[in-house]
Amino acid sequence: MRFGKDAAMARLPIPPRGSLFRQYFLVLFTAVAVPLLTAGGSQAWFGYQDQRARLNDLLGAEARNAAARIAHFIDGIESQLAWMVQLPWTGTVDERRRIDALRLLRQAPAVASLRLIDGASKERLAVSRIGLNRVESGAEASADPAVAGVRAGRVWFGPVTYHRNSEPYMTVAVAGNRAAAGIAVAEINLKLILDVVAGIRIGETGLALVLDRPGRLIAHPDISLVLRGAGDRTAETLQALRAAIVAQHGRAITGPDPAGRMVVAAMAPVQGPDWSVLVHQPVAEAFGPIRAAFWRLLALLLAGTGFAAALAYWLAGRMTGPIRLLEEGAARIGAGQFDHRIAIARGDELGRLASRFNEMAREVAISQERSERIDRLKRFLAPQVAELVDRVGDDSLLDGQRVEVVVVFGDLRGFTPFSARSEPAQIMGVLSEYHAAVGVCVDRHGATLVSLAGDGVMILVNAPVACPEPALRAARMVIEMQARVQALIGVWRARGHALGFGIGLAMGPATVGRIGSDSRLDYTAIGTVTNLAARLCASAQDGQILVDGTAAEAIAGGLPLVSLGTRQLKGFDDPVAVFAAAAGRKAEVQPAPDAA
Amino acid sequence: MRRRDILGASAGALVGSLVARAARAQPPTRPALGYLGSETPERVASRLEAFRAGLAEAGLVEGRDVAIAYRWAEGRYERLPALAKDLVRSGVAVLVAPGGAPVVLAAKAATETIPIVFEMGGDPVALGVVDDLARPRGNLTGVSSLSVEVSNKRLEFMRELFPAAVSLAVAVNPTSPTAGSQLAGLRSAAESLGLRLHVLEASREDAFEALFTEPHRLGAPGLVFTSDPFFAYRSAQLAMLADRHGLPAITQSRDFPQAGGLMSYGGDFTQTHRQAGAYAGRLLRGEKPRDLPVQLVTKVELFANLLAAARLGVTLPPSILSSADVVIE
Repeated sequence: MRFGKDAAMARLPIPPRGSLFRQYFLVLFTAVAVPLLTAGGSQAWFGYQDQRARLNDLLGAEARNAAARIAHFIDGIESQLAWMVQLPWTGTVDERRRIDALRLLRQAPAVASLRLIDGASKERLAVSRIGLNRVESGAEASADPAVAGVRAGRVWFGPVTYHRNSEPYMTVAVAGNRAAAGIAVAEINLKLILDVVAGIRIGETGLALVLDRPGRLIAHPDISLVLRGAGDRTAETLQALRAAIVAQHGRAITGPDPAGRMVVAAMAPVQGPDWSVLVHQPVAEAFGPIRAAFWRLLALLLAGTGFAAALAYWLAGRMTGPIRLLEEGAARIGAGQFDHRIAIARGDELGRLASRFNEMAREVAISQERSERIDRLKRFLAPQVAELVDRVGDDSLLDGQRVEVVVVFGDLRGFTPFSARSEPAQIMGVLSEYHAAVGVCVDRHGATLVSLAGDGVMILVNAPVACPEPALRAARMVIEMQARVQALIGVWRARGHALGFGIGLAMGPATVGRIGSDSRLDYTAIGTVTNLAARLCASAQDGQILVDGTAAEAIAGGLPLVSLGTRQLKGFDDPVAVFAAAAGRKAEVQPAPDAA
Repeated sequence: MRRRDILGASAGALVGSLVARAARAQPPTRPALGYLGSETPERVASRLEAFRAGLAEAGLVEGRDVAIAYRWAEGRYERLPALAKDLVRSGVAVLVAPGGAPVVLAAKAATETIPIVFEMGGDPVALGVVDDLARPRGNLTGVSSLSVEVSNKRLEFMRELFPAAVSLAVAVNPTSPTAGSQLAGLRSAAESLGLRLHVLEASREDAFEALFTEPHRLGAPGLVFTSDPFFAYRSAQLAMLADRHGLPAITQSRDFPQAGGLMSYGGDFTQTHRQAGAYAGRLLRGEKPRDLPVQLVTKVELFANLLAAARLGVTLPPSILSSADVVIE
């Protein structure tokens, strides 16, 4: 039976919804798993945030470093140009300045061409790597935006233009300290910034790139992206990255690069030409250091959760298993299987509960047995006695003992001829009325009706329940009984039945107790006093109550008794003193003695 | 029993795939690169070296990652179209056409599908090789040095050397696709410099001698070479002739002053060939020509040979010396 149950549980690890097992399992599992997952999740989150902050600092520094290198590149050209406008122009051809200009082209590879304009905005010299040089052309240059722009500040940066829609160029103009020193205007081939950005590596595969103010790509380690010119898709993606960083107030952000990979990007400005240097690093690489930690944490969380589930399963099973045994045991005991015992060998509350259950089953079994026995006893005990036995819960007072007892015998006179000539219905009617009258008296006086055989009755007083003044009580009972039966006899005589009723009463020690077997039990008194009472009954006339000496002595002055002298009774060697109790109609109205 | 069968089958499949992978790795089925050479391997040795350096930038090494099929025209440019077709037929993945307009035009005529990387001195748009530098539509992309564009600067440097000259000689290869545009540029430059030009033509080596004798006869103190690969690859020969005939000359290639010539001004061919190599590598790796803009060389270099100047009896002025990237002493 239990094996079958265990097998069923093994097949169905989670019992139906709402069961105690499920509740226990969920509560225990939650109690362990929720704090574990919360701690793990928050650790992962804070780790990620820390790494983000670190990356923000790191990439920010890289961006500023890259911007500084770009600025250095621009500054180098700017200072070369400043060198050209240190001395004021004279009216004559300045051969020395021409050679300086040619040397500048050699020194600054990014300068594609250089024009020198004097204080009067006239072009004095133009040198180029591609086109022909011009000396003292004297062309008017005041309308040149570079010339106009540099008048406002010392240095002017023109917009980025794409030569043949491919190569980025920018015009830079530098003015001398004095207006007479003139202005140097240079075309800068921005492709040469490639050398700067190609030398910058962010982490393993991260890179730096430069956008101008409108967001066009000026420099990128992959020069082919730059040479695609303005209006390329690449620039749009990078502009979106830049806009995202600006929206985040300069903090590093995550977004797609032109190749579609997710990158972490930061930005720094280049002051002079108002460019932006973007640095970005693939997300996979940037978060590489904490990814391993994430996986470790995840593995630990999974293991922890699994352990919590196993622990909760075990504990829930440990709690609900005994409860199921108790439930089953209670059901069996309820079904009357009192010999069932719940086997839970544990020292805790459940173990104690099980032993209580077992104890209870044992007691219920005992009380059941007792109540069955008492039910059987009730048949020959007065209701008061039966109730007493029932209340005491013990039938040991029915055990054999020797007590001072009052024995009463009574029988109908003339019953034998009556029964011989009457109809059975008449006989049964008479007996029924007779027994009812006797039973009322016995009940009222707390006596014990031990035998009711035909027209004869045997009654005990002071056994099995002891009572005060048993003789007097018995006397009062028989007086009432005689009165009741005499009243019936009056009725019967009116019907033509010649019947009478005599009573014998004796007191003395006798052995009282149960006799017979389990199937047929009787309670009776054995002793001389029983014989004496029976003999007194036999010698009593109709309406007479004969009392022996011992009882008369015990009654003393309680009731008026009349001594009838001594009589020779059958079975008794010596004559026996006999008294008669006054049986009158008056006795009927006498109050019943208190049975309690 | 059944489980063992499945295990056996899956183990067999695993072994099979490993064997297949090993078999795939074993035979050297490297992608093939077709290299269309206009000259001989000896003449282009320095350029090939630069080209291989460019391939290495893209992570490719000849013999290990890539097989290169070479075809050499040995100076006979009329053979280039047939050689180009031959390479296309051999099933190369990428065609490399270095060394000037004749080579790339031959390659372009041979295929419209196989990606072509060119290396040339002229303007690829003006020559109709590509229609846009930034977005080369079609199957071509490559690198252009500025050698053709700076022909007039060579005239200017020669004028620096002879400020009082009234005329200078110019050497032109009439078969070059860029000859016409270069001559037009030179004539306009000569006009602004106040010079008369004597145009001398040579498209074969046997005409070289006359290039160095004629200027003396015409009273031109110096000779300016237009940009042309035929001249560039024969720098040593030209330097020897210039030295023999005592004529100051300037060409596009640094090979000329390094071989004893006076001066050169032109794009840095090591840079262009290296970039061509890098582009060839990227095309082999699967990039499309339209995503690779045509690159223009950033470096135009002036070489001057002081020993040659001394032998020729000319003094290089400070303007040339201060402009020179390399001065050979």
